[in-house]
Amino acid sequence: MICILALVVFGILGIFSATHRKIALEAFDCVFRRLTIRKCTSGLDRRLKSQITGKLMKKYPRVAKFTFKYFELISWVFTIILILSIAYTVIGGYNYYIYGNCNGPNEDSFCIFDPLGGNSKFSDIDSEEFCSLDPIEKKDLTIKGINLSSFPKFERWAENDVVFIGCYACQYTRESYPSIKKLSERDDVNFIFAHFPAKDNTQVISNILNCINEVNETKFIEFNDMIFRLDLSLLKNEEELLRIVESIGLNKEEISQCSYTQRIQNITQSQISELQSTGIYGTPTVFVNEKAVVGPKPYRVYKRLLK
Amino acid sequence: MNISEIRRDFPIFNKQINGNPIIYMDSACVSLKPTQVINAINRYYNEFPACGGRSEHRLGKKVTEEVHNARKIIQKFLSAKRINEIIFTKNSTEGINMVINSLNLQEGDVVLTSDKEHNSVLLPCQALRKQGVEYRTFKFGDIEDFKNKLTEEVRFVSTAHISNLDGTINPIEEIIKLSHKNKSLVLIDAAQSAGHKKLNVRKLNVDFLVFSGHKVFGPSGTGILYGKLDLLKNLKPLMIGGSTVKNSTYENYEIEDIPERFEAGLQNYAGIIGLGEAIKYLQKIGLKNIEMHEYQLNRLLSQELSDFGVEILGGLDPEKRSSIISFNIKGMHPHEISGILNESNIMIRSGRHCVHSWFNANNLEGSARISLSVYNTEEECKRLIEEIKKIKNLI
Repeated sequence: MICILALVVFGILGIFSATHRKIALEAFDCVFRRLTIRKCTSGLDRRLKSQITGKLMKKYPRVAKFTFKYFELISWVFTIILILSIAYTVIGGYNYYIYGNCNGPNEDSFCIFDPLGGNSKFSDIDSEEFCSLDPIEKKDLTIKGINLSSFPKFERWAENDVVFIGCYACQYTRESYPSIKKLSERDDVNFIFAHFPAKDNTQVISNILNCINEVNETKFIEFNDMIFRLDLSLLKNEEELLRIVESIGLNKEEISQCSYTQRIQNITQSQISELQSTGIYGTPTVFVNEKAVVGPKPYRVYKRLLK
Repeated sequence: MNISEIRRDFPIFNKQINGNPIIYMDSACVSLKPTQVINAINRYYNEFPACGGRSEHRLGKKVTEEVHNARKIIQKFLSAKRINEIIFTKNSTEGINMVINSLNLQEGDVVLTSDKEHNSVLLPCQALRKQGVEYRTFKFGDIEDFKNKLTEEVRFVSTAHISNLDGTINPIEEIIKLSHKNKSLVLIDAAQSAGHKKLNVRKLNVDFLVFSGHKVFGPSGTGILYGKLDLLKNLKPLMIGGSTVKNSTYENYEIEDIPERFEAGLQNYAGIIGLGEAIKYLQKIGLKNIEMHEYQLNRLLSQELSDFGVEILGGLDPEKRSSIISFNIKGMHPHEISGILNESNIMIRSGRHCVHSWFNANNLEGSARISLSVYNTEEECKRLIEEIKKIKNLI
């Protein structure tokens, strides 16, 4: 059994070193013989057994004795661990490709392919540190039954629906924006943008956004492009926000006045309530054809969910 | 004899592996090399790296002279009657093949060997079957069995003096006497006895004797075939070519004298000179001293190992074995024993030692083999015993 382990370990080392390549070939011969119900003749198993035992014997005679006595059993255990590890690695790799995380959809546990967790982090809506909203009870994320009519959208009568719930002031929404933008530009996607002011009291931007949407339904993308590029410290600066409004060809006074109206503030409040009903616990949360993806994922993850 | 002084001659003992000294006990395979031999080899390459026996210039003459000196040293070492009875080969295997394949054995002839022969003897003898020559074996060391097998059809007897498998000693004096009485020629494979026991080919009255240089502190790729001159005259050289002829025409050639006719092509001059130096080194220490020292170590190892239940092949009596202790530990493969010892820098051999036939016949996977030399010490043997004890405790 040790030959299977040796084949994997020395096979990898053999890529870089000729000495290990020779051992890997011996291990392969041994494995091949065992698979064809023949005796392993290379003696590699014995060599490894004696080397390991010999090294242990110097410092840990009892461990050496145990190792020597149960070497085959230990080899089996390690082989099973190896096979399980390989299986989990393959599953992890698959999950990483499909969901952007080794552990499956919307998981944020450690992933070796994404050690810093860049694909899995999200701005926690529940966090007291920066949350300006009432805590949201975690439940299954769903877009069903949510009224999205008031949110800015690109309606193309396409077969795919993408709803991007993000927060202008949240780091991970900002990180995910390029992928979402790319997705929104596809012809086969109906795109809705929903601002959820999870951080830094950015409700005022929601108001402005709603006003922009009322004046010109196509301008919100340009506005978003600039807002997501804007330095975080300037997000609370209303003058700066109105300068952006002006730069996209809209009347800043008109938008400013609009944003302070009770009607718009009510719309914003009702939007927040609707979004809370989805069960979101972090931003960004993207619904692609009603399937939720939390955290900034690579473009391929979103694309795979399209019909 | 001062072992510490002797050890200082072997530069390998200055080397450490993982901070620990080396304990080398695989001298039956290849012995370590003293500085004197290494220097002699270097001297050839540094001072006179030329052709021997052909070129008339100073360097060529120097090589011829050095090779002659080496041959003289080996003649004395074996107590051979004439210098031209010493033929340089590349090892014992070559010497054995030269003799066996040049004897002109006929269909119906019988070749007799022991059941513990190295493949170097076994295979050439087996190959004679194609010529209709019968191949027969006697039990190694069993003179009665030898007598029974020695029928008048036996034309040739080839056997080892000391078994490389377990160090047991063949009664070669008696074997030679009985063979000659039977008009059979005898070849003694002295690969494991040269350098460990005094050899006197005249006293033994042996027809042919071979040994390897690499087992007697000499360089690899060197060996000796001794043959009685009148017998060598009747041997047909296996290889001919450069330096084996006095003259040649497009139709024919005139063969060289002995030993040159058996030494085809440019020789391993550095090796031959190194071998001469190695034999000088052995003689300086004295074979009696070496034999006694190895016996004492063998006795210590045999006694201690047998005390804690290690199975020694060839019997417990160290007097019946030379400097070899071949053993097995029940429940453990010999390669595992040598592999574990290797981790403590103790180097011994394991396996079937090129005597597969005997192990196959006895249903054994092999053995672990300790082979001693003059540079081994009592302390090393005690350390080995401790390690083997630990290994035995693993089971």
